[in-house]
Amino acid sequence: MNQLRTFVELGFRHITDLGALDHILFLLALAAIYRPVDWRRALWVISAFTVGHSITLALAVTGLLALPTPVIEFLIPVTIVATCVENLVMRERARPPWGGGGRYRPMLAGVFGLVHGAGFANYLNALFVAPIAVPLFGFNVGIELGQLVVLSLAAAALAVVDGLLRGLLPRIGGNTVSPLRVRVALVSTIVLVVAAHWAVERTPW
Amino acid sequence: MLRDLAMVLGVTATLVLHPLHTTLTQLEYRAADETVRVTVRAFADDFTAAAGGAADSVAARYLRSMVTLTGRDDRRLPLAWCGVRQTGDLLWLCLQAPAPGGLAGIRIEARQLFERYSDQINIVQANYAGRDVSLLFVRGDAARALP
Repeated sequence: MNQLRTFVELGFRHITDLGALDHILFLLALAAIYRPVDWRRALWVISAFTVGHSITLALAVTGLLALPTPVIEFLIPVTIVATCVENLVMRERARPPWGGGGRYRPMLAGVFGLVHGAGFANYLNALFVAPIAVPLFGFNVGIELGQLVVLSLAAAALAVVDGLLRGLLPRIGGNTVSPLRVRVALVSTIVLVVAAHWAVERTPW
Repeated sequence: MLRDLAMVLGVTATLVLHPLHTTLTQLEYRAADETVRVTVRAFADDFTAAAGGAADSVAARYLRSMVTLTGRDDRRLPLAWCGVRQTGDLLWLCLQAPAPGGLAGIRIEARQLFERYSDQINIVQANYAGRDVSLLFVRGDAARALP
């Protein structure tokens, strides 16, 4: 039981630490398009991200999947950039841009979660010793709890931004512009610039 | 303006360069000779920088100053260096000490790399008397007794 608690705490600390800013910014980019009433959609997307990173983390720490660290470290900011671009470009999310039906964002988050899970694994391979089931489960639970805390803080911060925009936009003649649209553009652009900088810095070739 | 932006980007970039500062310390009790073997796994670059060099004597001195075991009689167990090996990015550093009477009640402190990283986390796993115990140390934590 105390092994489980230890790894829950490790996962929680990892995702809520500023050292893991790339994962935090990815969550912020995912959450940037949602309003408080959209919380169910946000939860689906974040849950899909969790499923994705749990899969690669499990595969990597059991030795079934070996991924080159420099490539993963590069791909993590690329997933953030891609999410921000999606935030900025897409207006209609009920159908995927490549055709077919259904909301595609949970799938996108799940695929990107695969990359982030490989990133977690790069640092945790050193720590997981057989049997790994309890540490792995505990770490994932901790990550999930940490994500909920990050998302709650992000929701509060986005609500503050919305409030500021609602007061500011009419004064600068922006009556016809949706505060949500401006918020999405603002947050996504800032996160995109930071993540693009990381991607360039981590380019493995 | 551009310089300020570059500075902000530079700071945020360094924040994610090495996102998880963690070591794993395993305590294994050997009933046959009543000793405890302490194995510390750490990233080689981090540990070497913290210890101030890669030589065995440097690593041993640093590790013995950071990892302490205190017996039930409040005396420190004399940790002797038993070598180091490297696999990939990882160092496996070894200390051992006599531990008559087993590990229950022994207090452990694992402070390695705390002076270097504010987010350093040291996990300690102890295996003795049929039980597995895990402890998590962060900067500022005091020594803790094994149950």
